[in-house]
Parts: sequence; structure tokens; C-alpha cells
Amino acid sequence: MNLAVDTPWVLSGLLLTLLPLFNSGMRAGPAPWLSLIPADTLSVFIVCCLRLCAIAAIAGLVLGMAGLHRTEQSRERIGHGAHIVLLLDRSSSMDNSFAGRAPNGSDESKATAARRLLTDFVGHRQTDLIGVAEYSTSPLFVMPLTENKNAVQAAIAATATPALGFTHVSKGLGMAISFFEQQPVTGSRIVLLVSDGAAAIDHDSELKLREWFRKQQVRLYWIFLRTANSPGIFDQPEDSRDDNAQAMPELYLHKFFSGLGSPYQAYEAESPDALKQAIADINRLENLPMHYVEHIPKQDVSAACYGVAALLLLILLGAKFCEVKR
Amino acid sequence: MAISLNDIKQEKYPPMTETLHYRLPWQSSSVYPGAHPGQMVGAGQLFKRHEPLIASPDPRRIDLRASVLDPFSGYRVRVYQQQSVVNVYLLADLSASMGYADKQQTLIRFLLTAANSAFDYGDKFGFIGCTERIEHCRLLPAGQHLGRVTALAKQLQGLTFTDSANGLKNASAFLPAERSLVFLLSDCHFPLAQLRAVLGSLQGHDLIPLVLWNQDEYAALPNWGLISFQDMENHESRTLFMRPALRQKIMATYRQRQRELKNSFRAFGTEPLFITEPYSTQTVNRHLQQRLA
Repeated sequence: MNLAVDTPWVLSGLLLTLLPLFNSGMRAGPAPWLSLIPADTLSVFIVCCLRLCAIAAIAGLVLGMAGLHRTEQSRERIGHGAHIVLLLDRSSSMDNSFAGRAPNGSDESKATAARRLLTDFVGHRQTDLIGVAEYSTSPLFVMPLTENKNAVQAAIAATATPALGFTHVSKGLGMAISFFEQQPVTGSRIVLLVSDGAAAIDHDSELKLREWFRKQQVRLYWIFLRTANSPGIFDQPEDSRDDNAQAMPELYLHKFFSGLGSPYQAYEAESPDALKQAIADINRLENLPMHYVEHIPKQDVSAACYGVAALLLLILLGAKFCEVKR
Repeated sequence: MAISLNDIKQEKYPPMTETLHYRLPWQSSSVYPGAHPGQMVGAGQLFKRHEPLIASPDPRRIDLRASVLDPFSGYRVRVYQQQSVVNVYLLADLSASMGYADKQQTLIRFLLTAANSAFDYGDKFGFIGCTERIEHCRLLPAGQHLGRVTALAKQLQGLTFTDSANGLKNASAFLPAERSLVFLLSDCHFPLAQLRAVLGSLQGHDLIPLVLWNQDEYAALPNWGLISFQDMENHESRTLFMRPALRQKIMATYRQRQRELKNSFRAFGTEPLFITEPYSTQTVNRHLQQRLA
């Protein structure tokens, strides 16, 4: 409860709260001898209540004018979960179905399936910090790590816009890892890469990614949405001439990930069900105890102050109407 | 509301025509002839006793039968009780509470009525006004000048009562040593101990207490509502949440107070008259007649 005000000098008006102690606000009729009027506890109680109401009403108005608010706060919490960065492939092939065709009424596109299942996934992970990044030709910064699930789900929903051309996975990974910079190491850190294709990673990027993965202690999950009749992650080349990164980028990316030294798991999903299975798997695995800080934004309390003051003034007005006029 | 002396003289206020029929159940010791039973013997109608001729040398009053029966063969003379005057005083409480509602007007009306009655009887009338102490400007020595009384009434008319009634217990110092008729006009809104002190100091006189209360003080309170009171004497204020139970309680307190006052007065041999309704001389007269019976 860190309360603060916008204009502190207005608080000098709080001195006015002493006013009801000196003036009851009622017209006092003369009484010849007050000792003859018996002491009445209920009257004393009501008068005290009215005085308090008046004091509180004045205080409420003054605090409202001073702009009372609760400062931004952070609360430390302990939960089970992870820091997850969803790294989504925005290449145009994602808009095709798993069969490699443009989606018609019966089957959905890979992107749609991923969107639907990831939205569910985010909904289940209440205590996680989740960020969203995308990549195609270049990485797209979408949503930093946040506990606001609505924002994350909205960010996922925003991938419904038509996708772009290329698949530049190394820059996307770089951006995803950069999300973890200046974040405390607590729970597990996950980059969930959802893609339907791969690309060769050049040597410089490889070195950098290795270093970053090691430094940030990031686990990598790769959900490969495999289109029918396209090369998979685990496919070995039939021809030794095809055994290079240009010809089989999926395999070589997998090999690169396996050799990163950080925990890595690849899922090859060939249907929405398989994708669902993969996501459920991750959901189950990544539930380490996590220490995180919840941020509560600044809250304006002046409206409540005015509300309370108005209510109290209504009560006082009622009391004024109850006053006997002689 | 201000009444002027013209109003009084024009009989808007009728005290000039009304008379207090005060009679004494005791004998005045005054030597001057007047209208009340006195201790003096002289020209009167009521036979008092026989005296030797030498003590009362009035041959017209020789009682032959008593003279014959006198074993010492002296002449016996019938002597009669002389009607004497009595000093009438109005001892008035001029404390702030007497400024409540119409009490001040009642006080002035009673002052004029009593003064006129006293002058009608040929008695002397004096006034002692008491506040915190007894001020000489509120003091009227016993006399027979209506002008001074009306001047005093006019003065009281313009006066705002502010103080307490502590001066009442010193009032006996301003009364004559001989027994007088004293009207005590007060609302008795002070502690009973003080009242007893006042009554104790006035025991040598014939006291007629008139207690002025106003219905507005207690009976005319509302059944419901918030009401704020400020004490007229010490300016302490209190707010009450009126409800039928509290109203009953206040009225019961006043009734209890009335009983206590009556008991206090009776302990000193006087019966008080509570004037709670608008003043009327007839009420006072009825009380005065009951007192003789």
C-alpha cells in the first residue's frame, strides 16, 4: 500500500478536517438548563458518527483533489512455471495445411492450428511469463515477457494476418534469446520454436547463438510442423551429395540444436493432433518452481475518495434533513 | 417581541387591572396601619383582648361586663387588632435561563401586577433582582412609587439575561429584618443544594415560590429528529437524536425534578406554584387562596 499524491500542497486542506470538531453544523436552540436533559448514549453515538462522517468527507475531498494514488508496485511471488518465448514462423508456407495445400473448409492451416493450440497452452500457463517473437525475413518483436495472458493471446491471434516470405531462423532465435536479458534466472527458460521449415544458419550466427544459449541457460523446444512429403528433422539423406545444410536445412538445424549443449527437444508434428500432443508434453515438463515478480500498475484512488466523500455527504445531508426546525 | 410601557398602560397587557389577592396567614409586625392582620392593637374590627384602662386609655371601649367580672375591680377596655401594612418583595432570578421563551415577559408582568397589588393594599413593594451577584441597579427598596417600578420594568425589558443565579442566596441581606412577604420568581434551574441555601436564608420571611417553566423546554419536543441544544448559562451544547422513548425520558426527568423541587420547598414550609402555561394572575390568586385555607 504505497500511497502517494500528485499535488502535495493540497494536503494542507486536511487541516479543515478539524472543523467538524468545533462546529456541529447544526443550529443550536437555547436550553435553559442542559443538566435536566438526561444523558443519551445513542445520541452521543450518532453525533460521534456524524462528526466522523464529516471529517472523513472533508478528508476524502481533499485527498481526491490532491490526486491520491497507489504507486506502481511489484510483488514477489513463487509459482510453478517458466519463462517462455514463443517464436513463431511467419513464412507463407505456414498458411498451408499439413497436406501442403491451401486450406479449404475441412482442414485448417498450420498457422491456424498452431494459433489455436498455443492460445490454449497460454491459457493453461497462468503463472508463466510469456513473450512472443516472430520471424520471417527478419525477426519481429511482438510482445516482451509478460504475465498478462490476454496480451499474449492477442499477440498470438495477431499472427492471423497473411504471412511473409522467407524463413530467417537464426535472427529469430537471437531475438527470442534477447528476451531473457535482464530477467532474473528463475524457473526454466524456454524458447518454443514453432516452424514448418528451416534455413541454414551461417557460421557467425552459429557462434553467437551457441554463446547466447549457454549464457542465458535457455531450453529449446522445436515443434516442426512437417508438411506431407517434405523432408523431416530426422530424415537421413539418401544421397551423400544432399548431405549439406543447403539441401537439408531441417536436419542440419536439428544437428546444430542438438550440439548446443543446452537441453533441447524436437517434436515433429504432422497433424494438428501431433502438434497438440507436443504442446501437452511441454506443458507437463516445464513446471519447475519459479520465483517471479508481479507488477501492479499505479492505481488512481482519487475517484474512490470522491465516491466515499459523496456518500458521506449524502449521509450528512440526510442528517440535515432530519434536523428539527423550531 | 418587545413590549413598551405604552402597551402596558394601554392594557394590551392587563396587569394594571388585575390584583393579587395576597392575604397573610400570620400577623404583620409593622406599626403602620394597612390591610393585613397585624400584631399592633388599635383601630380595627377584630377583638383582640381586654386591657386595663390605664394601658389603653380609651373610655369609649370600656367593657362593662368585663369590668364587673374583674377581681381587681379595675376597668377593662376592649382592644382591637390593627390592620397593618406588610412589605412585599419580589425576589427575581435574572439568570440567563430566565431569558428563555416568554419567561422575561412573565417576570415583567408579574412585577407590575405585584407592585400594583401592593400599592392597592397600601403596602410597600420592593424588588431584588439576582444574577451572579446582586447589582444595585436591579434593586428597588420597599416603597410606594409606581413610577420607579415602571422604570424598573422598562429597564428589565431591554435587558438580556446572561449570568447564573448565584446571587439569590445573598438576597436576604437586602430584605428587612422584620417578616415580609417575599415572592420568589425563578425557574429553579440550579442545583437543589443552592436552592436549599436560598430557602434557608429566607426562613424569616413569608416566602411564596413561583417556579417558571415553559412547555417548550420539555413537553413541546418533537418525537423524531435531530435537535441541538445550547445551554443558556454555560454555553455547553448537546445534540440529541429525538425519539419517543427519549422524549418520555426527558419529560420523566422534568417530572422528577418537579417532585424534588416540591419536596425541597415543602421542607422549608412553603408550597411552590409551577407556572408552566402562559402567565395568568388568576392562577397565582388561586394558589394564594389555597395557601390560606
